[in-house]
Amino acid sequence: MKRIAVVLMAFLFVSAALADTADVGKSLSVRTFQFKHKQADKAAAMIKERLSADGSMSIQPTANSLIVTDDPETLKAIAAVLAKYDAPPQPFHLTVRLVSAARGGKTAGARIPDELKDLESKLALLRYDSIESLGAAEFDGKEGEPGLANLATYRAEFNFGEYDPASDTIAITDFKLSRIDDGTLAPMMKTTLNLKLGQTFIMGVTRQPNSQRALMMVLSARR
Amino acid sequence: MISCDSFRMRFHTGTDDAALLEHLRACDRCLDFAAHADPDVMFRALGGSEIVPPGGVDAFVDGVMQQVRVRDAETTVAAGHVVAWPRRFAMAAAVAIAAFGATLVYRNDVPVNLEPIHRAELRTLTTKPIVEAYDSQNATIVEVPTEETDDVKIVMIFDENLPADL
Repeated sequence: MKRIAVVLMAFLFVSAALADTADVGKSLSVRTFQFKHKQADKAAAMIKERLSADGSMSIQPTANSLIVTDDPETLKAIAAVLAKYDAPPQPFHLTVRLVSAARGGKTAGARIPDELKDLESKLALLRYDSIESLGAAEFDGKEGEPGLANLATYRAEFNFGEYDPASDTIAITDFKLSRIDDGTLAPMMKTTLNLKLGQTFIMGVTRQPNSQRALMMVLSARR
Repeated sequence: MISCDSFRMRFHTGTDDAALLEHLRACDRCLDFAAHADPDVMFRALGGSEIVPPGGVDAFVDGVMQQVRVRDAETTVAAGHVVAWPRRFAMAAAVAIAAFGATLVYRNDVPVNLEPIHRAELRTLTTKPIVEAYDSQNATIVEVPTEETDDVKIVMIFDENLPADL
């Protein structure tokens, strides 16, 4: 009887040792990320979807840091993303074009301005066949810096938001478009956009889907 | 054996007359007759007061006591069959090892299949909405479908609060 008990005890010990060895591959690691240029809570929101099922994190607001617990491989991927994210404010270039679009205005000999030829086919999808440039502006700025430009009778204001390396987008926050009427500003709209670098974004605003006129903002961001 | 008339002439309550009792053992009619007058006569006729176990009373008592001792011995032996604690421990350990071993095998199999799935998820979770926010209660935002590879994205915003003369 004693012999059986001893053998079983030995087997238990060996099994426990094997279990420890097997757990090494699945064990969780803890890592603290302290941010110099970005907010920890925004970083947490950014990596939330990247955590594995076993992963977790906690924000330390006073230290502006993030404590992440996850398996080593996921932690490595998260560290790479956060390292890119916590970069000093980066410079970006934003082009804004303001275009007036109308339906039923195209007649024989109607002319599309050369600078809007690239938009003709796209706006035709929306059945706008008459387009007119109201102005264009180019902005150079870093993350967190504001931008402002007057385009014909409109004023565009915005802030360069944060760059998200995961989606390769730059946030254009508080983009406000106002109309200048007799020297006074009449706010029209306010929005926040995520612009993918190198991609042209056309944002059309109008009252109803069957409205004959629309205002098109054509935005493009790059480094 | 005496006749029935002779029996009825000689019979009286409490009799132990051997001839009468012998007649009762053979004659049912006289037994009914006698039982009415003396119910105990039937037992006397059977010889109940003189029953002696085979081999005598001493042998009978010895037999009973032997059975008692055998039962006691059986109870003691049965108590000896209760599983001792080392054996219980060994059995519990064996069950635990079996369960633990099965868990080990299961856990060792999992990473092989899950790893590529995690990587695939990471790639697909990197999209953001183009229009993250728009300040209006009455607006409808519609993204115009374009091809996946198209480098132009179009979004239309229909807002009743916008001026009519855009």
